[in-house]
Amino acid sequence: MSFKKIQEQANLEWEQFTRSKPLRVLIGSATCGRAAGSMEVMQAFEDELNKRSLTAQTGVHEVGCLGMCYAEVLVELTGADGRRVLYEGVGPGFVPTLVESHLVEGNPLLDKAMAVMEGEDLEGVAHFSQLPNIQHQVRVVMRNCGVIDPARVNHYIARGGYSGMHRALSMTPDQVVSEMTASGLRGRGGAGFPTGVKWGFARKSPGDVKYVICNADEGDPGAFMDRSVLEGDPHAVLEGLLIAGYAIGASQGYVYCRAEYPLAIERLEEAIEQMREKGFLGERVMDSSFSFDIKIKKGAGAFVCGEETSLMQSIEGKRGMPRSRPPFPAVSGLFGRPTNINNVETLASVSAIMEKGAQWYQGFGTEKSRGTKTFALAGKINRTGLIEVPMGIPLRTIIEDIGGGVPGGKKFKAVQTGGPSGGCVPAQFMDLPVDYEHLAEVGSIMGSGGMIVIDEESCMVDVARYFLTFTENESCGKCVPCRMGTQHLLKTLTDITEGCATPEQIGTMRKVGDSMKKASLCGLGQTAPNPVLTTLRYFEDEYRAHMEDRKCPAGVCRALITFHIDPDTCTGCMACASACPVDAISGEKKKTHHIDQDLCIRCGSCRQACKFNAVVVN
Amino acid sequence: MGTISLTIDGQGVEVQEGKTILQASREAGIVIPTICDHKDLNPYGACRMCVVEIEGVRGFPTSCTTPASDGMVVKTQSAELTTLRNRTLELMLSGHPNSCLVCVHREACEKYRPGATKAGRATRCGFCSNREECSLREMALRAGENELGLPTLYSAHNVERSDPFMDRDYNLCILCGRCWRICEKIHGKPAISIINRGKWARLGTAFHKSHVFSGCTFCGSCIDICPTGTLTDRFARWYGKPDDRNLSACTLCAEGCSLFALTKSRRLVATRMTSFQWEASLCALGRFALAQIVNAPERLIRPAVQEGEDQIPCDWDTALELAASELPRFTESLAIVVSESTTREDRFLYARLAERLGASLIVVPSSRNGVEKELQGFTADLEKGRFRAVISGGDFLSAELLKGLNFSVVIDCLPSSGARGAKVVLPAAVLSEVEGTWRNVSGEVKELPAVSLPPGQARPEWQIICQLAQKMGLEGFEFKSAREVTSLVGSDPAPRPFDGEPRRGLRQLPSRFRGHLAADWVRPLEAFGMPSTPLEEMTESSKEGFEILERREVVPNMYFIKIMAPQVAKFAKPGQFVILMARETSERSPFTLVDWNGAEGTISLIIEEVGRSSRELISLPVGARVAHVSGPLGMPLPMEKKGTVVLGGGCYGIGAIYPIARGLREAGNHVIVVIEASSSYLLFMEDELKTVSDELIIATKDGSRGTRGGVQEVFVNLVQRGVDVAMFVAVGCTFMMRMAAEATKPLGIPTLVALNPIMVDGTGMCGACRVSIEGRTRFACVDGPFFDAHGVDWDELFSRRSAYSREEIEAMPQMVDLNALIHPHGSGGGCGSSCSHR
Ligand SMILES: Cc1cc2nc3c(=O)[nH]c(=O)nc-3n(C[C@H](O)[C@H](O)[C@H](O)COP(=O)(O)O)c2cc1C
Ligand code: SF4
Ligand code: SF4
Ligand code: SF4
Ligand code: FES
Repeated sequence: MSFKKIQEQANLEWEQFTRSKPLRVLIGSATCGRAAGSMEVMQAFEDELNKRSLTAQTGVHEVGCLGMCYAEVLVELTGADGRRVLYEGVGPGFVPTLVESHLVEGNPLLDKAMAVMEGEDLEGVAHFSQLPNIQHQVRVVMRNCGVIDPARVNHYIARGGYSGMHRALSMTPDQVVSEMTASGLRGRGGAGFPTGVKWGFARKSPGDVKYVICNADEGDPGAFMDRSVLEGDPHAVLEGLLIAGYAIGASQGYVYCRAEYPLAIERLEEAIEQMREKGFLGERVMDSSFSFDIKIKKGAGAFVCGEETSLMQSIEGKRGMPRSRPPFPAVSGLFGRPTNINNVETLASVSAIMEKGAQWYQGFGTEKSRGTKTFALAGKINRTGLIEVPMGIPLRTIIEDIGGGVPGGKKFKAVQTGGPSGGCVPAQFMDLPVDYEHLAEVGSIMGSGGMIVIDEESCMVDVARYFLTFTENESCGKCVPCRMGTQHLLKTLTDITEGCATPEQIGTMRKVGDSMKKASLCGLGQTAPNPVLTTLRYFEDEYRAHMEDRKCPAGVCRALITFHIDPDTCTGCMACASACPVDAISGEKKKTHHIDQDLCIRCGSCRQACKFNAVVVN
Repeated sequence: MGTISLTIDGQGVEVQEGKTILQASREAGIVIPTICDHKDLNPYGACRMCVVEIEGVRGFPTSCTTPASDGMVVKTQSAELTTLRNRTLELMLSGHPNSCLVCVHREACEKYRPGATKAGRATRCGFCSNREECSLREMALRAGENELGLPTLYSAHNVERSDPFMDRDYNLCILCGRCWRICEKIHGKPAISIINRGKWARLGTAFHKSHVFSGCTFCGSCIDICPTGTLTDRFARWYGKPDDRNLSACTLCAEGCSLFALTKSRRLVATRMTSFQWEASLCALGRFALAQIVNAPERLIRPAVQEGEDQIPCDWDTALELAASELPRFTESLAIVVSESTTREDRFLYARLAERLGASLIVVPSSRNGVEKELQGFTADLEKGRFRAVISGGDFLSAELLKGLNFSVVIDCLPSSGARGAKVVLPAAVLSEVEGTWRNVSGEVKELPAVSLPPGQARPEWQIICQLAQKMGLEGFEFKSAREVTSLVGSDPAPRPFDGEPRRGLRQLPSRFRGHLAADWVRPLEAFGMPSTPLEEMTESSKEGFEILERREVVPNMYFIKIMAPQVAKFAKPGQFVILMARETSERSPFTLVDWNGAEGTISLIIEEVGRSSRELISLPVGARVAHVSGPLGMPLPMEKKGTVVLGGGCYGIGAIYPIARGLREAGNHVIVVIEASSSYLLFMEDELKTVSDELIIATKDGSRGTRGGVQEVFVNLVQRGVDVAMFVAVGCTFMMRMAAEATKPLGIPTLVALNPIMVDGTGMCGACRVSIEGRTRFACVDGPFFDAHGVDWDELFSRRSAYSREEIEAMPQMVDLNALIHPHGSGGGCGSSCSHR
């Protein structure tokens, strides 16, 4: 079948999906949705529709993640008027009301509605694209997430999918490489190496057997961009891999996906099957002379297996342990053959770029950092979730407009970008354009796109300790600076939080961190000291307070704090006394309460319980 | 491949394409420090010591992994590189016990203690069997690194000694990866690899299997390539660095593998592969058992002749003359049985002797389990009375058979039940003790040099035959050396092929040597399923004895043990000691009383694992019984009021000064206790000592806690501070006490030390514990243990203490240590770590 025919068929199916039935229910069922209970919601809809004999008129579909994880379960309803309305926080109990009001009576529930996706305005409900958190976003990688049914290849095709590959086949591989170089796309796996240039190396490298690999190991704690894309739009990634294979002259591709992503793996397996059926895989892809196949390899969850050389060892069945480069994978990679490895997000961008052209992609972002980047917003932020923004967007826009600021009116202190490999960007850089260069300038990295927001009640030493706990555990142990350095940094950080470190140790930590950066074998060790070094750079006072004054200014490190009740603000409501698990608080009703420091275990329950902020930390 | 040229440190260098920068530098004579690199291994890049700077390349690439390329400009020396290397080394050392490297007393200590202490865990270089050969230590000393800015992170892994032949102390491992890489290189699929991640990363087998079941062939390469003391050959480890290495061959089976014989003072210490290649690999027997056979304590050392029921030792002439007078009588009814493992020269002479006497010669090949089969025909002939006399070069015939003959001579290296029936037994030199040549199954003739000395009066067989023949008046035996025979041997046949592949499988090893079951003399071989003669029932830890109530490893190597011993507890006084015997057959060893409770009837001891007896004791579990506890022994220290007394304790002495402090304080003294350890994680009993002292001062050799140095530094500080010390008592190792004595002598402060010479009976009868105090001979067990430190003849004490070092090494258990299996040494882990962050 010609690609044109395939597209026509796909359009038909998409048409049906969007219009064929008068009523439609779309349920966000990626891992985040499922965690919030989307499967129960789906069941509730099916039961309710059944009860009302609406099943025939209503299409019920799973879709991927829209990125607004804080608002799951998200449900989109299309009523008889064709207007599509998005509801947030839907639980199974609410389903009968929704069905009754919106689908049967045609009255959208205004107070639960989040946005109008398509169609006429609704009183007091914004259009989706006008939502403050959506307004600043540009969705390239996530173009289909939450929009299509990820299990249907035809949805993907109808929305422009595989036309990029079709176009690539009309070009020479060298032209494809040039197109990629021209687009300015840089690797989204962390290091930001220009994708086109990397392809060029692998293309030029002599050898008749070559490999391409999709790195879907996503090991950063708190990062889930890749997972969302794989779950919500697997074909976007697989098409990217196909294009990469064609460009460098590989006939075998691998997707290395962590085993902790069962849904992503299921979606990938389905998608590969569909590709085969459509003739996009196997011998003579799309009737060209190009042959290609894809295998899925499951990773066992070691962070270091995301590192490219380690990942290849793992595919080869060896212990995942990095090796020195050169030789680079482009020269000697998987099984000693020239290999190109790209991240999930990179490949999802590749398919979009081939579809719409390098010119189009260049329109987003800054000169040196083209395109868009997804981020996983987490921590002390109102709207946690997945976002995609053009490169160079000010940090403030991300934190305040998209993320909705810090909850509880607390002050924004810093944001940790790049997960355990990155660093903290303090509040003074609120207007920093978020791109590779500027993040590096302030000592952090773009990394894979984790953004953990830290507020005034978080202790920076504790934050650094959290990340070092992770890297200390995940260091593969091969090289000395990383294996020993992480242990020393963690030990010192722990000592600081426990109040048994001396100020000289700041110098030791800098020294160790510096050695790790310069002498570690792989990226893990080279970047592992970043959380320590950046917090030291911007919050040395906070460190010193722990060491010199034995105080934790943020009031987090238990060994260093005491709780007191301020007699002026205490109303004697007794809330604190009943919250205290060890009965350390005494006081009569309507009189100032008092904490017995000998009994107090510094759990902070009283502080949380007090509505008058009368519990103060010292 | 062509050549490329590059510039290294300003020097133009031409090398073959494909070489690494490190290789290129070496070719140009430029030295770059390395640890994980090894000439027989592929580049790995783990230690990060070999970093260099390359023009136009960011950062500091490792020279061992980076290919040299044309036009490259490399710098191997710069201030920044030196700093980086020193810091990496510092990080490496922080994960490896290092106190000896930074100890202010290192040189004095090494002078007085030239051999390493045979400790359980190597918590410092002084306790490490690899001290003389350690690349890490060498590198650290070369770098002049003796100020570590980082605390030592001692990981307290269990010492692994449940496998045959190998001791593994992963607390010393720097994860250079040499071991698993060489295993992979030689065997394809490695038996070991790095397991776990982060701080738990270490070497090990898959699923923690025993090496016996991990695919390991016990080739020993990992041990031989390990740059640290982590992997050791249990037998060879404590002998120290070999002083000679000779190419030789193993004659235990027809393969006749080439090997290096390593000797120290003409004693065979180990046999090793000649290169790290599969082709050169040795089987477990060749690698580990050979040296143990040669060194077996049971070796025959004197000729003997039978008189009545007994075999009486005699001189060579007597034995040879008896044989020479009898043998010629038998001619055709004489059989000579020799093993194929003897040299060609030996066998040539045996054959000549047989020919001259008209006797039959039977040559027994090596085999997996069928030596008996080879001998079946011959034994049947014997039983039928075909032969009336025999010369047997090994354990081939039973005592009954021999007794049934008119005359028999056994020429052998080890005792056997058969030999007990022989009329004459002649002790033979074997294997590495014998010069000669050997033809292997592929026909190759290999040289066998005599590299070690035979035990006692044992002689090479060629010599025995010649002397015997000459005594019989036969001609053609006038040889002065085996070499003179070699040219006569000519084209002897190759040995019959061996029925197995010993280098591939532990179950395919030759089971016999000269008819003896190899596992009888090298018991660890039993772990491979090799046949052996059951040992007589080992004395179980006695049912009588003294029950162990408590046992824990308080810090690495240091065990707190509480024993039920009411009679001792009732009469114990501060400063006294007891003598323990773990089993009925154990050696008697003295231990100072740390505490006692007359009412409960218990005594407490601190036992440091530093040799065989202490190992036996500490491996007894709670509930088991110590066979003997005798005591209290020695003169108690008088508990008199003197004023301010300072008590110094090191090693087990930290525990030993506890009752003394308590007693002296009760007597009204102001007690200052000073304790020293190599590093903070080896300090113990601090809380207890605080309760019995007015002041507790700590010193560590690496400066990780308290004063940097030892008890003597603290003491001198105290005196300088103006403290008026009436008496100083030091308990610890001999070195520590000597240093303390030297420090107090010029200050004129009365000093007592608890001497710890070798003791046997502990009652003043044996004299083993003789010491000289001011020129007078005293016995530490009854006159001591406390003596005036300034009168002690320290040099004599040191030399007497080391008089039995060779025997002590030999006594180290070679058996698969079942105790280690049942009671792993991990119990101390908790304490080691809790002490380190105090
Ligand atoms: C310790 C470590 C972990 C990594 N983990 C991941 C990962 O989980 N996913 C990923 O795509 N890249 C990861 N990377 C980056 C990859 O090594 C590699 O740079 C990336 O796959 C290249 O793809 P790109 O060019 O598309 O960015 C990791 C790197 C390091 C050093
Ligand atoms: S830097 Fe860390 S993770 Fe990377 S090779 Fe070294 S030890 Fe392994
Ligand atoms: S055991 Fe020895 S050879 Fe193996 S990694 Fe450790 S130090 Fe290196
Ligand atoms: S002894 Fe040989 S086979 Fe066994 S682990 Fe070591 S190198 Fe491997
Ligand atoms: S020798 Fe190069 S890293 Fe170890």
